[in-house]
Amino acid sequence: MNRGKKLLLLVLALLFSVSSAWAVKIEISAPGEQEIPLALTSFLAMGAAQPKIAAEINAVLEADLGMSGLFSLVDRAAFLSDAETLGLSSVQVDFAQWKLLGAEAVIKGGYRVEGGKLIVEARLFDVISRRMLTGRRYIGKPDEARRIAHTFADQVMLSLTGTKGPFSSRIAYISNRTGKKELYMMEVDGHASVRLTNHREIVLNPDFSPVGKELIFTSYKNGNPDLFRKEVYTGREARLSHRQGLNIGGRYSPDGREIVVTLSKDKNSELYLLGTDGTIHKRLTNHWGIDVDPSWSPKGDKIAFVSDRRGNPHIYIVDVNSLEVKRLTFGGKYNATPAWSPDGERIVFSRLEDKVFDIYTIKPDGTDERRLTFGAGIKEHPRWSPDSRFLVYSLDRDGEKAIYLMRADGTGSRRISAAGGDDSHPAWSGYW
Amino acid sequence: MNLPKKQSWRQLHSRFEPGFKRMLLLSVAIHFLVPMLYSGILYFSPAKEKPPVYRVNLVNKPVKKPQAGRPEASVKKKETVVKKAKPKPKPVVKPKPKPAPKPKAKPKPAPIPKPTISKADEQSFDQKMAELRRQKEREDRLAALRENLEKEREKIESPVVDAPVGEVTGKGDEEGIAYASFVKEFITEQWRLSQYQLPSMNLEAEWKLIYNAQGVLIHKKVVSNSGNKAFDDSLLRAILKSQNLGRELDEQTEFEVTFNLREMQN
Repeated sequence: MNRGKKLLLLVLALLFSVSSAWAVKIEISAPGEQEIPLALTSFLAMGAAQPKIAAEINAVLEADLGMSGLFSLVDRAAFLSDAETLGLSSVQVDFAQWKLLGAEAVIKGGYRVEGGKLIVEARLFDVISRRMLTGRRYIGKPDEARRIAHTFADQVMLSLTGTKGPFSSRIAYISNRTGKKELYMMEVDGHASVRLTNHREIVLNPDFSPVGKELIFTSYKNGNPDLFRKEVYTGREARLSHRQGLNIGGRYSPDGREIVVTLSKDKNSELYLLGTDGTIHKRLTNHWGIDVDPSWSPKGDKIAFVSDRRGNPHIYIVDVNSLEVKRLTFGGKYNATPAWSPDGERIVFSRLEDKVFDIYTIKPDGTDERRLTFGAGIKEHPRWSPDSRFLVYSLDRDGEKAIYLMRADGTGSRRISAAGGDDSHPAWSGYW
Repeated sequence: MNLPKKQSWRQLHSRFEPGFKRMLLLSVAIHFLVPMLYSGILYFSPAKEKPPVYRVNLVNKPVKKPQAGRPEASVKKKETVVKKAKPKPKPVVKPKPKPAPKPKAKPKPAPIPKPTISKADEQSFDQKMAELRRQKEREDRLAALRENLEKEREKIESPVVDAPVGEVTGKGDEEGIAYASFVKEFITEQWRLSQYQLPSMNLEAEWKLIYNAQGVLIHKKVVSNSGNKAFDDSLLRAILKSQNLGRELDEQTEFEVTFNLREMQN
């Protein structure tokens, strides 16, 4: 390289450095608004109008997306003429109208009933970039409008966050509305509740299989707290573990191949790994203390559980391979029912403090403990949604136990189970 | 093939237009001069007064007896000490308990005689009191003024009376600072992102934006992405919404905007 070129390069480098020094540097460390303004238009009839279907779809979408905490809904009263047009492709949408209303996203859709089938077209548009973010056509039975709306809400969440929503999944719970504690299942918003057992005895601790549409639970049907398995759609039921003493707190492993359960066959309650046929694979704990309420880590290598081995009941973690036990919690008089989040980030549990159980979360390394619930009432049995965004728990207040849902940060708490009985022990299914 | 240096320089010289060398040298000189002027190396800076230096000798502190403890310090002759024989211990006799003395009646305090004050004394006393009151008021006023002065001093200084709008400190002598605040506020207002969209709060992205003098975005470029789609999409939306600032800038300005979630982290 000769001198001339060197000189030229030097000059250019100097020019570049001077120009970059002139750029004004700005740091923006938080968004101006933490809710996305969403316009949810009424689904329009693409054939014979059936207002009930449109109302059902809109009500479900509004409830699900409202629960997500992502959106602030634009007032329907302010909608302009574009809300009255179907507009299933981006060229058919008048984005200027929505921009004028301050909306950044708009949901549009239509439905028709054809040959005994309900066909729903649903779209999510980005008002700013004027493009379709997601669009789906759903075909189902005419009475499945709610299910279709839940599924589209999941799709909206996937489109805007990269993770599918949990709104089309199910929640199992125990209720005594028939006079006996039986197993029930409902949709995430509390609708379509169905009773799954008729044991006419105490049924407890349900848990969904991560691979099939089946549940395990404990029932006193035969006089002893035995572990049962039940297929949701066929109704087939089998007794999985009926060893003498307790067979409680069964939880499927993340791959669905094993079940961790508390057995007291040797007079003391210990954790065991069972195969799905009920045979014992491994004993996990061996201590004079009581070991109960197991919950798998999403990787399946660790299990959180409750033990009173050091006095008061606290949460411990046992390594499935090395059987090494580590203490997780140190506060509170009574810590119970841990549940590991599906994303592995936190463990939720209930803690007795000032004579009241409240919901807490903690990181698996024992740091960053946070209290999520406050106020009157006993909050117990917290469980995670499959996307780790929400928690379901039971609240015993004013003499009535009910199932509640809230966001993982403790906000947006709302009752989902209907009145008419004491409801407890909720369990959230995987993606349904 | 190695040509002599002079010849190769002539060949190179012949390729450019006449006067190119002079222009190039001038250009280089200007480009060196501008950063030097910018950095302030060439400006005369008055010699600063050296701060006073206090020397404290902690080792050789003055002491009462400087020779104490040194072996050569034993100049005093030792006095011959005659040991006294220890006295025999006296037999211990228990003291007889003394009868408690009877409490005596306390004498009544004598009445304090009231001072007799003449009228002249009274007048001079009033005058002194009035003077004291005035002095006290003067001192109070002075104390209040001093307090106000201290408060004024604590306030953020503004180098100019009409400090640029939008900058709390009023620091900086260019209007560009005010524009930076305005642009920051404007883009922040357009940025919508929910915490529930994000798996983590440790996200950061950088954009380069160039606005012309009319406040219109003429160039945008992603310098670095966060890697999170929801976060990066929200930034794109915010910048698309910030295409027109709605006010003029003094000149075309380039902004390097860093977006992160520092304020949302717990």
